[in-house]
Amino acid sequence: MKTQPTRISRLMMREPRLYGMAIAAMVVSSLLLYLAPLIPTIVIDGVLFASGDGPSAFERFVLRLMGGEEFVASNLWWTAVVILLLTAAAGFFAYLRGVWSALATERIIQRMRDDLYRRLQRAPLGFIDRSETGDLIQRCTSDVDTLRLYLSVHVVEIARALAMLVVPLPIMLLVSPLMTLVSVILLPVIVLFAVVYFRRIRTAFLHVDEAESALTSRVQENITGIRVVRAFAQQEQECLRFGERNARHRDLDNYLYRVLAWFWSLSDLMCMAQKILVVGTGLILLSTGRLEVGAFFFFLTVVGMFVWPIRQMGRILADLGKAQVAFGRIEHILGQPEESEGEDGVHLSSSSVSGAIAFSNVSFSHGESSPVLDGISMEIKAGSTVALVGPSGCGKSTIINLLMRFYDPDEGDIELDGIPLSTIDRGSLRSNLSVVMQEPFLFSRSLQENLKMGRIDAGEGDIVEAATVAAIHDSIMEFDEGYSTVVGERGVTLSGGQRQRLSIARALLRDPAVLILDDALSAVDTKTERAILAALRERHHRHTTIIVAHRLTTVMQADEVFVMDKGRIIDRGTHAALLEREGLYRHFWDIQQSGAAAIGDRPEGSAHE
Amino acid sequence: MSSVTPHLEDVLGTVDRGLWRRIARHAYAYKGAAWGMIIGGILIAIVEALLPFLIGVLVDAVVDGASTSRIVWLSVAYAGCCFAFCVLVWCFIVAAGRLATGMAHDLRRASFERLQELESAYFDLQPAGWLVSRLTSDCRKVSSLMPWFLLDICWGITFLGLVGVGMLLIDFVLGLCVMIVVPFLVLVTAYFQSRLLRSSRLMRKTNSELTAVYNEGITGIRTTKSLSREHANASEFMGVSKTMRDYSMLNAIETSIFLPIVTTLGGLGVGIALWVGGLQIQEGSELSIGMLIAFMQYAVLFSMPVRELAARLSDLKGAEAAAERIQGLLEREPAIRDSDEVRARVEEARRSAGGDLAEDGGLARIETIEFSNVSFWYKEEEPVLQDFNLVIRPGETIALVGPTGGGKTTIASLLCRFYEPCQGGVLFNGVEYRNRSLHWLQSSLGIVLQDPHLFSGSVATNIRYGRPEATMDEIEAAARLVEAHGFISRLSEGYETEVGEGGGRLSVGQRQLVALARAILKNPQVFVMDEATSSVDTQTEHQIQKGIEATLSGRIAIVIAHRLSTIRTADRILVIEAGRIVEQGSHEELLEIGGAYRDLYKRHFADPG
Repeated sequence: MKTQPTRISRLMMREPRLYGMAIAAMVVSSLLLYLAPLIPTIVIDGVLFASGDGPSAFERFVLRLMGGEEFVASNLWWTAVVILLLTAAAGFFAYLRGVWSALATERIIQRMRDDLYRRLQRAPLGFIDRSETGDLIQRCTSDVDTLRLYLSVHVVEIARALAMLVVPLPIMLLVSPLMTLVSVILLPVIVLFAVVYFRRIRTAFLHVDEAESALTSRVQENITGIRVVRAFAQQEQECLRFGERNARHRDLDNYLYRVLAWFWSLSDLMCMAQKILVVGTGLILLSTGRLEVGAFFFFLTVVGMFVWPIRQMGRILADLGKAQVAFGRIEHILGQPEESEGEDGVHLSSSSVSGAIAFSNVSFSHGESSPVLDGISMEIKAGSTVALVGPSGCGKSTIINLLMRFYDPDEGDIELDGIPLSTIDRGSLRSNLSVVMQEPFLFSRSLQENLKMGRIDAGEGDIVEAATVAAIHDSIMEFDEGYSTVVGERGVTLSGGQRQRLSIARALLRDPAVLILDDALSAVDTKTERAILAALRERHHRHTTIIVAHRLTTVMQADEVFVMDKGRIIDRGTHAALLEREGLYRHFWDIQQSGAAAIGDRPEGSAHE
Repeated sequence: MSSVTPHLEDVLGTVDRGLWRRIARHAYAYKGAAWGMIIGGILIAIVEALLPFLIGVLVDAVVDGASTSRIVWLSVAYAGCCFAFCVLVWCFIVAAGRLATGMAHDLRRASFERLQELESAYFDLQPAGWLVSRLTSDCRKVSSLMPWFLLDICWGITFLGLVGVGMLLIDFVLGLCVMIVVPFLVLVTAYFQSRLLRSSRLMRKTNSELTAVYNEGITGIRTTKSLSREHANASEFMGVSKTMRDYSMLNAIETSIFLPIVTTLGGLGVGIALWVGGLQIQEGSELSIGMLIAFMQYAVLFSMPVRELAARLSDLKGAEAAAERIQGLLEREPAIRDSDEVRARVEEARRSAGGDLAEDGGLARIETIEFSNVSFWYKEEEPVLQDFNLVIRPGETIALVGPTGGGKTTIASLLCRFYEPCQGGVLFNGVEYRNRSLHWLQSSLGIVLQDPHLFSGSVATNIRYGRPEATMDEIEAAARLVEAHGFISRLSEGYETEVGEGGGRLSVGQRQLVALARAILKNPQVFVMDEATSSVDTQTEHQIQKGIEATLSGRIAIVIAHRLSTIRTADRILVIEAGRIVEQGSHEELLEIGGAYRDLYKRHFADPG
């Protein structure tokens, strides 16, 4: 905790010039702002209601600056002009302060956002897998906003409150030391009260936040499960359950208002008391002739100018912890290592890779738990088609993850064309391998742009060809806008099968040395699947193909099938050879063939059937 | 300044009064609090307008050497006003809390209840996140501005009126001179408020874009890495974050210009007061020094209400979109609901509850179900079902097979009255189901959907969902029937294990089993199962077959399935293609015919290629 404040200030030190200029502008601006009420003070005391002993030395000095007593007395409009000029100049410097501090903050925040995004893109996959998406997004958005508010508003407010307090002190002391003391006597109490009070009611804020997120998740659940609610005719019970949280949130929120009512009224009372003290003391001094009317007006105005910012400052000081916590959460992401760029690694040119893969004695485990892969050795010949089968959790997908270098093995070596993966530049490795996942991700832009992500310079003909092989071209042409159709949140929703086929097309466009289908046909109906596999077989000379699948009909045509169980390869051979012998493969085959085989097609999961 | 008038229109002219009047109706329940805000606003304006005046009178009293008792009396009045101010602050914050939280609660309840009634098609069109924010942020926005709007409007108008009239009464000429600044103040404020409204809208929009890009960056990380798009994504992100910075700067610059201008106008007022008032004093008029001081304070204070009034109006405009969305939801009539007639019968039946009758007075037992000439479409030119006819006899199990998009799920959804036929009717025991109560129908059905949504809570709570009074033994029995008992007892806390939001801590297959147990426990008259076990692994599927058969026997069941075992035991298999029944009969009969069913069957079991 102790080190964090220095870290936030170090953040501000990224823009020392702008912040320095902003502070300078702020001091000048508040000085001018205080000079403005000084003019009426001097004019009242020195010109309009000149007391017996004449204007004081200070008053005479200022009056001389304005052209002398006589001139001011006969040209009162001039005082109005001076006041206007002073406030306008103060305004100009306030404007500079605002723009400079905003510019400094926005620069820092923009850089932070960019850094966060870049770091998320380049962090090892393990970090993303371990984190929750919602939490990461919260760190990148609301925590950054908290920090931004702190830098752009809170820091400025605190500095302004201090400037407003410190700048007029010399003038105040010059005018009346006793009144100066009276004017600031309650300020420490006001600040302390705000800090202590807000520290103590922090839990009330926390409770409201929690109640609100409880409310939100109930609504969220009800809406995503609305069909189940109806299917079980539970609408009334759902309303009751929602009602509980709704009422709880209302009560806590209402309580917070009450707590805040006490804060604002009590702190108003203290600020008022400060003003009453000034008015009371001023009146007494006035009546005994120890204070002049103009000076009284000056103190009245000055107190009114700094007492509210000071109160605000106390409130902000109490919230400082929030910015520190937010910054810590942001630093957590920025502190993650990046995947090594491997500038010194081997660069593979796409044409020269043949696609031969060798695993020798590869083991991998997530942390300390039992190994996910345990001594895997296999060789895949360039241009061949191999399949990985086995029950869920047997390690098939981990093999793919290692091959893509999403993760690195704990033990053993993986080679591509005889080159150890760990010595190959990640980017160039991945541009030679194309993986299609079971739940493929499409970016929310047009189909064409999504496909082109495989290869930026792909021509119209290449795209249509790839889409045709992946059996998605016809479906695309059925959309009103064809290849320009936008998908995702802002566009049409595609079914699981359509997404899988699109991402196969995207992978094919890259014309990779190795094509990996990680259960990538699970949502495609059997007829289409067969067409895709046949089309792929025709291109088999172009790439090594690795197929992970549950349905054994998918893998029947592979040159070699690896049967996996509990992180090991327990059997290998062609479909026919594996069926010959007693084992897991034949067991699966029997089950799938007899009782539980698919008829018709697989669901594509669309709501509008 | 020529473009000022349209901006004035922006803030003042185009507030949708009808909309807000309808929203304000939700505040009726909190009339007391609302009147509190109105009266509080007026009283506090009176107190605040009195304070500078009292100081002026006090100064005069002291300067003129008035009697001590008069000075004391005036001082007490001043202190009393200060105290009253604080008490009023306390009162209106408490009242604001009651109004804001109460209204938010009521709006949320009404919206939630409306969501429970709206037809399924409504949810197909709205993303869940969209609907959730109706109930959370939109409700908060609309209800939290209400009290402050009432308060500041009453306070602002009263304050302006009192100060204006007061100044004119004290010194007509001086009052007029000081008030010269008011029109400028109004124009400047209106102009900048409308600009600020616009730039903060742009900021909000860009901010949600930013969130979406982060979200895509995180959820699509695997794809990004496989396509080596880290750098391309990061540079695209920098475009968005640059836009965000630009809009933030725009907003900051506007604020930085606006506030200094207001301060400068205040300074101008003070200058004019000093000039004109000073001239009067020099000419020996009646204007006292105390009143001159009061005038100068009023000149500064004038900007406050103008600014607040404009800010509240622009809040109102800023929240207009939210208000429209809420009101739109509340005023939307559910397309599928009990007719008035049915509701009348439900009322009647409630009074004379009896025997075999359902809650709507109809027959409780479902004997037959009939689809009579049913047509259904989302878009009229693309019918999903056309003149579909089907009679389901007592206890019959019907299996629906056929290609995706053929209309199987639509038939199930129509049966459940998630949708209603566009033409034709669905008859239960010969009675059109639009003449029966929706609640009766849906509580008689056991519906298991392909996407098995679970609610957060324990496994037991989820299984119990349709029958909250079920005992632990019954729950276990249901779980055993679908072979879910094994994996449930292996969970860390057995049946009391939390399943997480949406059931996320269980695999899809496990969720399907729990959903199945949930439907079985409800002991419905009719089962509707849409690919209910599509993600259950083949061995388990094999094992639960017997349990399911036993459950279905003697009840009407509609099963959409892709596993042969389920289909084989069905009394009747319907092959659905393009919204029509192309074949029907038992498994053996259909194989005999040698039509579409046999093709489906063969396609799967014959060796491919």
